[in-house]
Amino acid sequence: MAKRPPDDGSDVLRVSRRTFLKTVGVGAAATGLVGAVPGPAQAEILGPDAIPLALKLNGATRTILVEPRVTLLRALRNHLGLTGAKEVCERGACGGCTVLFDGEPICACLMLAVDAAGHEITTVEGLGTPEKLSPVQAAFVECDAMQCGYCTPGFVVASTALLNKHPNPSLDEIKAGLAGNLCRCGTYSRIFAAVQKAAEQRG
Amino acid sequence: MAEQGDQTFRVKVGPAENPVTLEVHPAAGDLPPWDLDSRLRTVKGRHPRLEAPQKVTGRAKYTYDVQLPGMLWAKMVRAPIPAGKIVRIDTTKAEQLKGVKAVWTTDAKLVRFAGQDIAAVAAVSQEIAADAARLVDVQYEATPFVTSLEEAMAANAPLVYAEGQAPAPPNAPRKGNVSGPLPPPMLGGARGGTRGDIEKGFAEAESIHEATYRVRVHTHAVLETHGIVATWEGDRLTVYTSTQGVFMVRAALAETFGLPRNRVRVISEHMGGGFGSKLSPSAVGSAFAIVACRLAKKAGAPVKLMLDRHEEQLCTGNAPGALMTVRLGAKRDGTLTAIHYRAYTEGGIGQSARTGAPAGSMYAQCPNVKLEEYDVFTNAGPTCALRAPGHPQGAFGFECAMDELAHRLGMDPLEFRRKNDTHPFRKAYYDVGAKAIGWERRNRVPGGTPGPKKGGIGMAHGNWYVLVREAVAAEVQVHRDGSVELFHGAQDIGTGIRTALAVIAAEELGLRPADITVHVGDTRFPPGPTSGGSVTTNSSGPAARLAAHEARMRIAALAAPLLNAKPEALEFADGRIFVAANPERQVSFREAAQKMQGEVVASLADRKRQFEAVRQDLAATQFAEVEVDVETGVIRVLKMVGVNNCGTPINLLTVENQMIGAQIQGASWALFERRTLDRNVGSMVNPNLEAYKILGPADMFEAVPIFTEGANAGNNTSATGMAEPVFVPTLAAIANAVFNATGVRLRQLPMTSDRVLAALAESTKGGKS
Repeated sequence: MAKRPPDDGSDVLRVSRRTFLKTVGVGAAATGLVGAVPGPAQAEILGPDAIPLALKLNGATRTILVEPRVTLLRALRNHLGLTGAKEVCERGACGGCTVLFDGEPICACLMLAVDAAGHEITTVEGLGTPEKLSPVQAAFVECDAMQCGYCTPGFVVASTALLNKHPNPSLDEIKAGLAGNLCRCGTYSRIFAAVQKAAEQRG
Repeated sequence: MAEQGDQTFRVKVGPAENPVTLEVHPAAGDLPPWDLDSRLRTVKGRHPRLEAPQKVTGRAKYTYDVQLPGMLWAKMVRAPIPAGKIVRIDTTKAEQLKGVKAVWTTDAKLVRFAGQDIAAVAAVSQEIAADAARLVDVQYEATPFVTSLEEAMAANAPLVYAEGQAPAPPNAPRKGNVSGPLPPPMLGGARGGTRGDIEKGFAEAESIHEATYRVRVHTHAVLETHGIVATWEGDRLTVYTSTQGVFMVRAALAETFGLPRNRVRVISEHMGGGFGSKLSPSAVGSAFAIVACRLAKKAGAPVKLMLDRHEEQLCTGNAPGALMTVRLGAKRDGTLTAIHYRAYTEGGIGQSARTGAPAGSMYAQCPNVKLEEYDVFTNAGPTCALRAPGHPQGAFGFECAMDELAHRLGMDPLEFRRKNDTHPFRKAYYDVGAKAIGWERRNRVPGGTPGPKKGGIGMAHGNWYVLVREAVAAEVQVHRDGSVELFHGAQDIGTGIRTALAVIAAEELGLRPADITVHVGDTRFPPGPTSGGSVTTNSSGPAARLAAHEARMRIAALAAPLLNAKPEALEFADGRIFVAANPERQVSFREAAQKMQGEVVASLADRKRQFEAVRQDLAATQFAEVEVDVETGVIRVLKMVGVNNCGTPINLLTVENQMIGAQIQGASWALFERRTLDRNVGSMVNPNLEAYKILGPADMFEAVPIFTEGANAGNNTSATGMAEPVFVPTLAAIANAVFNATGVRLRQLPMTSDRVLAALAESTKGGKS
């Protein structure tokens, strides 16, 4: 339900909000491209000014200049032009900003962009295009699993993650798998039908 | 009503199982309305929405997604206290922050609710704007306040508005924070308000029920927060905004900035939910759109101002809470003799929606009715329209009371309603709904299920109206290559109007909906309605049909010489144009289009006047099945069956989706949603999406939408709105099911587990239900 980044013990640089606040207090700034050189990280001090950051995004590496306090969601939306993930509740309550973090669904509003360095990030834009929809996306279209569509990217990503883990989920597993996402127009039953349809089509 | 040049058509309309022949008189130039005998190829089908591929891939651009070169981010500062004087606003520190480009401060001297606009900043990033907003230093002198409806009604309550300042109807009496009884409402009153003599009605009654019901404030909680991106080029203003009415926004901005309307363009290509909260140029409790335009002018750069979730919960409107006392009288055989409905609604600092119409108009043959409606001001964010304003609250009080009276009479609540019902469409709902929910499975004795998990089934009725905006138009362009575009200024608020217009145009042109590119949500297009009150499909659709029909006639004129036939002898279907009497003689739509002079045939059509319809009031019925765990107090909705009629359903796929959405939003209000204000400090305790709980996937039930076959006339498509009526009875249907499950009546929403347990405990203690 709660979408937190997996604590996988990986050795890339991680900066939590708390460590960041501590580090800016020191007043030092870091140079160098975060994420460019994977390897054991020191307790490096970053910011507060913008720093270069490389992200592995939808299969490509993208480099941006971003303040260390910027969340992954805002880096995607405001610095990389990927506005599929939506800023809705800003605190992990609605799933509107769901992206895949090494294949796991997370709320991009709860992670700092610098913490995503070195990890594979997949956004809804990376799953398919209007011309070449993924099976989940095609099923959402066919079942009309949306109204205003604002929650749709989050549900598409969460549904994709669910089917990657449970290729043939029961209705209860679908409800549990999508329990971190909210839709205000009220399209849940259509979304469940779409997930079931996508499961069939993926075989 | 009738005008010179009117036409006369006889149409077969009404509910399909009991149709009527109606003589209608559309204005000159309008088309014969589709009726029950019309053979429709595309309309009434199931068509995925045209913009769905953009939405599922994250490519659909909402206001929040708009980025312009050099764009600044704005952030507002809001009053943290519910009442007081603004002593001083100091923006010095904010202005000194690197990256800040402009500031704005309010002219207001008084604060009336926590969340009121105080100041705003525009800066080069979203983060710096937030930093700067925190640096604005505001001094307030706090004054007494009141946030609860019940406390605001007390004689010694602090006054939210001084004498003569409240936004109440001028002819309503005023006492303290209470204004009313209010004059007859705009909606519902003309369709059955106060009438007869209730004293006489209650004297004739053989059974009387009276109780008080309470509904709490529900916030719209739209997922795309309110917001705008504003950019000036000289004295030309272009804005992108998340709105239910681009033309309404343009009119307001043009007036505010003293601009002719042709210098203001408003765009809303996609928008993330409104439910009535986006019917103001900004929002009902904020002037953010105007502030953003001012900041953009001052900074000389585009400005983006999106409210955050906290602000969204405070100042963008809500559905008022209501305290309702309902007294009903009936004969032993179930004939209603009197209805007395008295309600106090909490509008915050705004004017409330009226809640009396369900009680006043649903059982139109009840001879004695008295409606008394009062508005109560509190120091809280103002209310605004929300999906059938006032009606879900009023239907909760009234339709729960109807259920209680049925129980008192020892009658089946469904049969009690049927006995008092004359609505021709609703008459068909009883049996179809009862069958779909399995009405015969309900407890004959409420609370009769053995064990701690008690099942129950209930139902309720709701009402709404055929509302229409007539002054709209649409344009259809057929290009030389046979491709088609449709332009119309309505905005798609999630109901699928793009697709509905394509379906209608495709019907006329013999094409598939996907063959038509539809452009909406822009003041550059022919005028569309403000989308509120279930008006869009039946306002916009008839204009689209007329424009497409004119395009068809012009293409038919091009095809006729190719087929050696008269244009009126031709039919359009499956991308072909053929002679009706001899379908072998055919050309493709594209071949015919290639005969045009020039590159495009453009057909602009005004919607014609609304004409006679079977009904002007809409009816919907909701059935609910619940399971109540009497040990934990948790209610689960298991199944909902909604029954509705929208005349001609243009696109069944999207229409059913809206009905399911109404069931979910209603269940969410009934079970979970409650805006909670801290009575000691006057601010909102749950201005978010986790403590303000809305129904999520794990709470989901089996949702069954049923549209009965019918046509309502009134316009050339015979469609009516439908998003609102089916929302109205949902709260009451669930509460009635909970009574059937437990034998205990919950008269307060939301029906959270603490309330359920308290009601169960009370019933065993007092031995009453």
